[in-house]
Amino acid sequence: MSKMASMFRPKKLDLSGFVNTRLIRDHNKRNAVEQTEPERQALRYLIRNTSLPQRVRAQAQLQLSQMHAYTRPTQIKNRCVASGTARAVFRDFRINRFQFRMQALAGELPGVKKASW
Amino acid sequence: MFSNPTRSLLGAGRRLRVPLSARWQSTTPVQPSAPSPSPAQETKTTSPAESVPIPEANAAKSTSERMGALDNNARLPRSVQAVYLRPLRRKAEHGLPVCDLQLRSYSVENVEFFADFAIRAAYYLNLPVSGPVPLPRIVERWTVPRSNFVHKKSQENFERITLRRLIQIKDGNPQSVQAWLAFLRKHAFYGVGMKANVWEHESLDVGKAMDQSATEIQKTLEPHLAQFGQREDNSAGNNMFDVLDSDRFAERKSARA
Repeated sequence: MSKMASMFRPKKLDLSGFVNTRLIRDHNKRNAVEQTEPERQALRYLIRNTSLPQRVRAQAQLQLSQMHAYTRPTQIKNRCVASGTARAVFRDFRINRFQFRMQALAGELPGVKKASW
Repeated sequence: MFSNPTRSLLGAGRRLRVPLSARWQSTTPVQPSAPSPSPAQETKTTSPAESVPIPEANAAKSTSERMGALDNNARLPRSVQAVYLRPLRRKAEHGLPVCDLQLRSYSVENVEFFADFAIRAAYYLNLPVSGPVPLPRIVERWTVPRSNFVHKKSQENFERITLRRLIQIKDGNPQSVQAWLAFLRKHAFYGVGMKANVWEHESLDVGKAMDQSATEIQKTLEPHLAQFGQREDNSAGNNMFDVLDSDRFAERKSARA
């Protein structure tokens, strides 16, 4: 199993809208995590199951650590779909705070208005 | 100068119009008996010299009057008239809640309009309705810096207020409740979201009914339950690595690569 990230890269770009290298990378990670989740869960189960022989558990540990970094769910980071920024991204709208402000002022976010109270 | 004669003429017209129109109304039902002689006689009696222009004016007035009478007397069909009035409601006999429909929107007009529409639809489907109950608004607020970079001191507030209305159906026929929900879905209004909780009520012998239906349910579940458990000829034993290296996982790996 090669350690190259290119194995998770699709032949053809499967994203539309705003596209960024970091955005594509995050997208590939998401795909990798989705595809390898059962494998990871099986290995995690083997490692934690105390009724299994120690050798099997150690082997499972090794195999899990050998898996590619892209298959780790902690590698996923929410990114702004309009600008690719990774900071201050609102979960509700999946956009950055500045993009949120611009779109809200332009009336592109339904129901969002300027507030004063 | 001109105002006085015109007024007098108009007055004459008015004076003339009253008996004529009354006569016209009276004659219409009695037309088959003798329609032609009676108007001729009356015109002769009033003014023989002005007999030619007056009937024309009278005819014009009578048509306009007829239109006016239509406006005044003719009523809209009941169903159309009801649109201008408060929605009609059925009375609940037992008051057993059957369905809760929650409408959500960001604008008052939309949600109010659609709640009204839903209540009217329920009336024609013979469903007793209570509501619309205005549920608490959901206010979400965000504060963001105005600039795209630093300058935290200058910020801006945004909010999104979700308005909610609850419409409850009481002791309605479950099929008509489904029909009502389907109708509302078909005529869904823009900017209004819907969420329905539907309850079904059983008779007191629920346990017996469930026992009876258990065998049928088991039959339907059999193909699904057959997927669970371990095969007797499973020689893999404790070795999960064989499973992980099996065709299924290999397939996934190859598909991903």
